[in-house]
Amino acid sequence: MNHAPVSRPAKRKPRRSEPVILFSVASASFAIAASSVHEIRSTDSLAGSAAEIEAPGVRKVRHTIERSGKTYYVVNAGMHFGLPITRPALVLVLRDSLSAVLIDSIEEMAEISTLHALPRAFCGAERHWYRGLAVLGERVVPVVHSGGFLTSQELSLLEAARPADSSLANAGIEGVASA
Amino acid sequence: MSATPQLASRSFVLLTIGDRRFALPAESVSELVVPGSMQTFPHTTPLVTGVLFRRGRIVPVCDLAPVLVGRDAPPRRFYLIAQRRFGAQCEWNAIPVTGNCELINAEMSPPSEGAEAYVSGCIAANGESVGVLDIERVVAAYAAPSAVTIGGEAQP
Repeated sequence: MNHAPVSRPAKRKPRRSEPVILFSVASASFAIAASSVHEIRSTDSLAGSAAEIEAPGVRKVRHTIERSGKTYYVVNAGMHFGLPITRPALVLVLRDSLSAVLIDSIEEMAEISTLHALPRAFCGAERHWYRGLAVLGERVVPVVHSGGFLTSQELSLLEAARPADSSLANAGIEGVASA
Repeated sequence: MSATPQLASRSFVLLTIGDRRFALPAESVSELVVPGSMQTFPHTTPLVTGVLFRRGRIVPVCDLAPVLVGRDAPPRRFYLIAQRRFGAQCEWNAIPVTGNCELINAEMSPPSEGAEAYVSGCIAANGESVGVLDIERVVAAYAAPSAVTIGGEAQP
């Protein structure tokens, strides 16, 4: 059988080793760049400081939290990824993002040397969710994009659902995916 | 020798999905592999059920059975590693198939009247007319609304 030419180098983006945090939600594993995580808190520790929010069309966000003078929308990662409902125990407060993410647990820290591009066969929302795929041993783990938890459209809906006097003062924040 | 390139003899891989036989141009097929451990993660792309990590490469698994034979297709036992085209780029995908595959030489003729839109032509194989698949048209034929899946919808 003859092989037609297939693009190869573009599939892989050689990088320096990058520390990542492996976390799990409903038995699915994900990685996120350690540099994208500002803080990891237990959900219990935030119970008193979270404010409720209800934005039609953004059911995955039910609360906001204030950290270091900044307001974060708390995204339920299970709902975001369409996974079974769990009881999240931890919150990842992200850097350079308006999102804090509810997760089940931290698995481990790891280093990845290669970020594989998401294959073109994947053509849905996952192209916003993931920066690419990492191989850890024999496992293939999606590396989440810290700005992929909320689209600009969802942010607009959330902003509209907030009381007028508590508008987010985060105009310069980067990393929010387009709708 | 045939008068037109379309009728020239070419190599095709015969594959079985459920109880139906199809063909793919041999030049678009790399190999037939036994199932390794397919890995899944959340995504929203229909027909893609996971990925294989094979020879240092991540290969998406694209299960065509729901379009070709319906959702009640019997388990697929092998993966046919075949090429998909995305504009000017190509990518290897693993297509779950039911049984062994066969390499034959045949002349491809235009699809018969009433053939499914994803059939790009027909070849004669063992006295049977077999449709040559256009994988992109098979994927396009999957008209169900996009729903979040973790994959594993169809386990080969």
